[in-house]
Amino acid sequence: MLLPPIAALLVLGALVAYYPSIEPATAAYDQGLIDVGISLGSYIRAAGTGYRLELPAAVDQVLRRDSFDTVYYRVLGPGGEVIAGDDGLPEPASGSSAVVVAYDTAYNGQSVRAVAVPAQCGLESCRVLVAETLVKRTRMARDILFSTLLPEMLIAFATITIVWFGVKRGLGPLARLSEDIKARSPGDLRPIDPAGTPEETRPLVSALNGLLEELSQASRNQQRFLANAAHQLRTPLAGLQAHTELTLAKALPAEVRAELEQVHQATIRTARLANQLLALARAEPGARGNAAELNLKTLAEGEADAWVHQALARDVDLGFELDWAPVQGDAFLLREALANLVHNAIEYSQRGGRVTVRTGRHGVESYIEVEDDGPGIPPAERERVLERFYRVPGTSGTGSGLGLAIVREIAVGHGATISITDGTGAASGTKGCRVAITFPHG
Amino acid sequence: MRLLIVEDDAPLASGLRRILEAEGHAVDVTSRGEQAVLAAAQERFDLVILDIGLPQMDGFEVLRRLRAGSPEKNGPMPVLVLTARDAVDDRVRGLDLGADDYMVKPFAMPELTARVRALLRRSQAHGGPRIVHGPLALDTVARRAFLKNEPLERAAREWAVLEVLLGKVEKIVSKEAIIQAVAGWGDDLSPNAIEVYVSRLRSKLEPAGIKIRTVRGFGYMLEEFKGS
Repeated sequence: MLLPPIAALLVLGALVAYYPSIEPATAAYDQGLIDVGISLGSYIRAAGTGYRLELPAAVDQVLRRDSFDTVYYRVLGPGGEVIAGDDGLPEPASGSSAVVVAYDTAYNGQSVRAVAVPAQCGLESCRVLVAETLVKRTRMARDILFSTLLPEMLIAFATITIVWFGVKRGLGPLARLSEDIKARSPGDLRPIDPAGTPEETRPLVSALNGLLEELSQASRNQQRFLANAAHQLRTPLAGLQAHTELTLAKALPAEVRAELEQVHQATIRTARLANQLLALARAEPGARGNAAELNLKTLAEGEADAWVHQALARDVDLGFELDWAPVQGDAFLLREALANLVHNAIEYSQRGGRVTVRTGRHGVESYIEVEDDGPGIPPAERERVLERFYRVPGTSGTGSGLGLAIVREIAVGHGATISITDGTGAASGTKGCRVAITFPHG
Repeated sequence: MRLLIVEDDAPLASGLRRILEAEGHAVDVTSRGEQAVLAAAQERFDLVILDIGLPQMDGFEVLRRLRAGSPEKNGPMPVLVLTARDAVDDRVRGLDLGADDYMVKPFAMPELTARVRALLRRSQAHGGPRIVHGPLALDTVARRAFLKNEPLERAAREWAVLEVLLGKVEKIVSKEAIIQAVAGWGDDLSPNAIEVYVSRLRSKLEPAGIKIRTVRGFGYMLEEFKGS
C-alpha cells in the first residue's frame, strides 16, 4: 500500500535532481560548439566582392573529428549566401544574426544540436553555424540520470524497509489484541485487561470494555427477565394443573372427563413448551451462564429420579450405563439438553420399550448418549430434526419440535458435536435411535 | 398431620389445600412470609410447603428465620420448597438453608403427594422408632419387621437394605449407596450380593403388594404402596 506513493516520490526526486544537473552540462557542450564557430570565423577572408573560407584541410579534419559525434558547419556571408561548409544545415528559426544562438534541429535525418555564431568579415557581419550529433549528450544525460537515480533508489528501498518494519512493529500489539478478541468464545463478555495492551490502544480497549459492559448488562437484564417470566408462567400453570388433576380425581361423566383430559394434557404441554423456550433463550450466546467443571455421570444421576418417573408413567424400562465423563459447561443447560434427549426417547418409545442413558469417555472426549428402541429417525431426516419446530412427518405424539433444536443449541454452545445414528438393535430388525453428544477434551 | 402452605398464588394455594386435605391432613394457608414465620413460632407443623417467590419477605428469608428460630421441639419442621425458578443456585441455596426437598413448578399432584408422604414419614422416623409402609412396619429400635402384623424373617443385611429403601420411597437408591449403608456389617460387598438381597426381599414383600423396582444400571426404588 505504501509502494505507489514511494515510487512516485522516487520519480519526482529523480526529475528534480536531473534537470538542474543536465543544464550546466548542456551549456558546457554548447560552449564547445561556440568556440568551434569562433575559430571557423577567423578563417574567413575577403575574395573579390565576396568572402571565402580559407580552411586548411588538416584543420577541417580536426574540426570534424570527435570521439563520439559528427560535426557539421556552414558559413554564411553578410547577405546570407553560403560561403562554405555543409549546405542545408538549418539556420535558427529566430534570433538576430548578431548574437550567439543555440538551438535543436535536424540534419541528414539526425537530431543535432547547433549554434549560430556571428563572425567579422571586413566591415560586415558573417554567420557561422556549427552542429553536432547527440551521442555524447545522450550518454551524458544517461550518466547523470543514473548517478541521481541510484542513490534515490537506495534511499527509497531503505525507506520502504524502515516503514515496513516500523508499521509492523507499531501495529503488532493491535494485531495481538484483535487475535485475542477473535479467540474469545461468543459468550465471553468479560472486559479486556488493559494491562496487557500497548499505550496507544488504551482508548480503543476502554471503548471496547464499555461496549462489553453494556452487553453483559443487557444479558443480565435478559436473565432477570427470563427468571421473572418463568415465575409468571409457571405459577399459574401449577395452579391450573392442580385443579385439573383434582377434578379428574372425582367421579365425572365420561364426556367431561375426556374434555378435561385434553385440558390436562394441554397444560402439561404448555408448561413444557414454556420451559423449552426459556432454555432456548438461555442458550443464546451472551446469555450463557457460568461454565464449571462438571461430570456428566453426576448430572445424569441427579436427574434419574425425575426421568424414571416419566418412564414408569409410559411403561418404559429406563436404564443407565454411567461412567466418569468430565466436561466444562453450564450445569443448567446441560441438564436441559439431557432432559430433552431422555424425554424424546421415552416419548417415542413403545409401551414396554427400553431406553438407555450412557455417559463415558472415548479417549479424551466425554460423551453422553441416549438410545431407545422406538421407530428411529430415517437418515434423510436426521439433519432436519435438529431444526427448530421441525417434526418428522407422520410422527404421533405431542412434541413441539423444539427438543432437539435445544439440544443442538446447547451442544454447539459447548463446542460439542451431536450425532444421530441407528440403535444397536437396528441390525436385528428393531429400529431404534441413538443420539450422542460428544464434548471436546477439557 | 398438620400442614402449612405458604403460597401467594391463590388458585395454586387452594388447589394444594384441597389435594392435601383429601389426603387427610389439616391444612393452613397463608400468602405472606411474615405470617408464616409468626404461625410457625406459635404452633408446630408437621410440614411446611414454602413458595420461594413471595411478595416482600421471600421464601429464602422465611426458611432462614424458621431455621434460626428457637430450637424446635421434636426436631426441625420439615420444609418442602416450591419454586418457579430453575436456576441451579436457587436449588442449592434452598437446600443449604435447610430445605428438606425441592420442587420446580409446575408439578404433577401425585408427585407432590408422594414427596409430602415421604417427608412426613421421615419426620415421624425422627420422632418415633416405627416406619410404616403399607402392610409393612419396621421397629427401628428393636430391629424387628412386621408384614401384615406377622413377624418377618430377614437376615441382618436384608434388614439394612430394606431400611435404606424405606428411607427413600419413590426415589432411586444407587447400588453404591446401598453398599455404603450395609458395609457396616464387615466384609466387602459386591453389587451382585445386593441383587441377591433385593431379590430375597422381593420374594417376601411382593405378595403383599410392596414393589421394589430395578433401575437398570443404577439401583433400586421402593414404590409408593398402592394397595395389594
